[in-house]
Amino acid sequence: MKFAGFEATASAVILALVGCGPAPIDPSRQVGADPYLPPIHQYLLPPMHVAKVVGWNGATPSVPAGLKVQAFATGLANPRSLYVLPNGDVLVVETGGPPGPVSRPKELVMNWIEKMAHSRTKPGQRILLFRDTHGDGVPDQETVFIDHLHSPFGVVLVGNDLYVANTDAVVRYPYITGQTRITDPGVKLCDLPGGPIDHHWTKSLTASPDGSELYAGVGSNSNITENGIPAELGRASIWQIDRASGAHREYATGLRNPNGLQFEPQTHTLWAVINERDELGPDLVPDYLTSVRDGAFYGWPYSYYGQHIDPRVQPQRPDLVANAIAPDYALSSHVAPLGLVFSSGTSLPVHYRAGAFVGEHGSWDRTVLNGYKVVYIPFVDGRPSGPPEDVVTGFLVDGDKARGRPVGLAVDGKGALLIADDTGNSVWRVSAASP
Amino acid sequence: MLSADPRSVSLGGRPVHAMLVPIPIVCFVATLITDIVYWQTAAMLWADMSAWLLLVGLIVSLFAAPAGMIDFFGDPRIRKLRAAWIHGAGNVTALILSIFNCLIHTRDAYTSVVPSGLILSALVVLILLVTGWNGWALVYRHGVGVRQREQQ
Repeated sequence: MKFAGFEATASAVILALVGCGPAPIDPSRQVGADPYLPPIHQYLLPPMHVAKVVGWNGATPSVPAGLKVQAFATGLANPRSLYVLPNGDVLVVETGGPPGPVSRPKELVMNWIEKMAHSRTKPGQRILLFRDTHGDGVPDQETVFIDHLHSPFGVVLVGNDLYVANTDAVVRYPYITGQTRITDPGVKLCDLPGGPIDHHWTKSLTASPDGSELYAGVGSNSNITENGIPAELGRASIWQIDRASGAHREYATGLRNPNGLQFEPQTHTLWAVINERDELGPDLVPDYLTSVRDGAFYGWPYSYYGQHIDPRVQPQRPDLVANAIAPDYALSSHVAPLGLVFSSGTSLPVHYRAGAFVGEHGSWDRTVLNGYKVVYIPFVDGRPSGPPEDVVTGFLVDGDKARGRPVGLAVDGKGALLIADDTGNSVWRVSAASP
Repeated sequence: MLSADPRSVSLGGRPVHAMLVPIPIVCFVATLITDIVYWQTAAMLWADMSAWLLLVGLIVSLFAAPAGMIDFFGDPRIRKLRAAWIHGAGNVTALILSIFNCLIHTRDAYTSVVPSGLILSALVVLILLVTGWNGWALVYRHGVGVRQREQQ
């Protein structure tokens, strides 16, 4: 009897530890302008549910009727972002982050989990160029465009200046149309916050429509200031960098990990997708897509979605929180959006031509996986006008095994959607099924 | 005083539990101190130190606790001592609280310490004061783990 009592207590304790936290809600309640925000739940042991990587083995992602998907490139080394040059050449950035520091025991576990969730392939740390000389959409030439980079991510071409955002600097290279390899060492335009701690290391990059300014996404140096407030200097913000001088200012702040910087073609406003904070429950805080307003503060770390205070941040800054604005469009929690592209330039069916595609890398701290797909969000007059639709799926198989994970997106010279898949080490091409 | 050698787990003739137990005690007391400093300064360094101290304390406890339990359950004379029951039950409680405390310290930033972590750290130190008091009685009054003079 005494033992049975002990066992019951022990199993109750174990259940409380393992099965901790509220059950995840339907993500459809957390999309759009006004997401449902549940109460905060702080875990004793966060539910770490990472999709086991199994690879594609000849399979391809799924697309709805009217679209077709084909492999654009395979056998890559961690392709994470894409850029299409004016002549149709496609740049594929093979990259990976610097090793995470171990400032406390938790990081030993977190670094291990991150390794489990990603491809075992060592990142190329370079940019490859793919060219389709036959005009069939599938490349037949491949060259190493720029080699030996430092965790590169963002790429943008302005005139004959090609800019690459390494994790610690924006570097400018001279580019001549048709060039397949750059050997010039490049010139540093501007330092970006890199190491020694470099938690969110992907520096997204775009240029203003007139080409005078660059915009770089600089992610936070922690989940929620656990590396100290000083480590966040210049981070969790979008930098506006003067192309001529390299001088910068923080264009918008409080954006935990902004990626996919793009100008909306109709209104010429800057948009981005943002990875919000973890470990407040399976449904907090929803990641989002938003237009980025000059001078605006979006809350991180002190608050989220306006004035919802995060109790993990001390000292609080009520003066900043008072002015924190809510983002435009929630994508639901922990989907990890890393890619964004507007669809107006595509040759996809008309249904997909007036909105944005978002690449959702997928969750790691939610018992029911979320993300792991590319969604389409319709726009009207430069604003989101409806719920997101699944466009490219099949990255997950058997519920919780990952064939791949979508990251960066681009539209190629023929108007097809390209998807970098860092875990499947491929680039996928989605086009109209028939003309 | 126990009349003959108590059958304590020993290494080179030294009692394992008594040798190891100061390490988790020091770690858990230091955790309270670094927790308090973090609470007052919000400088993450101190919370990080708490997390390491808790981990080291727990790892050494994995060896110290079984040694103590074997001593306790292996010798009926020890089990007859009231101080041994208080010492054992208290330390097991402190250990369980420290496991929870370790998990709470894996949270990020302020709530990894304030308030739950800090409260648990303080509770553990209070318990350790009681169990330590009784533990010293076991050794110095009842000779637990103390080797008797060699019989020729």
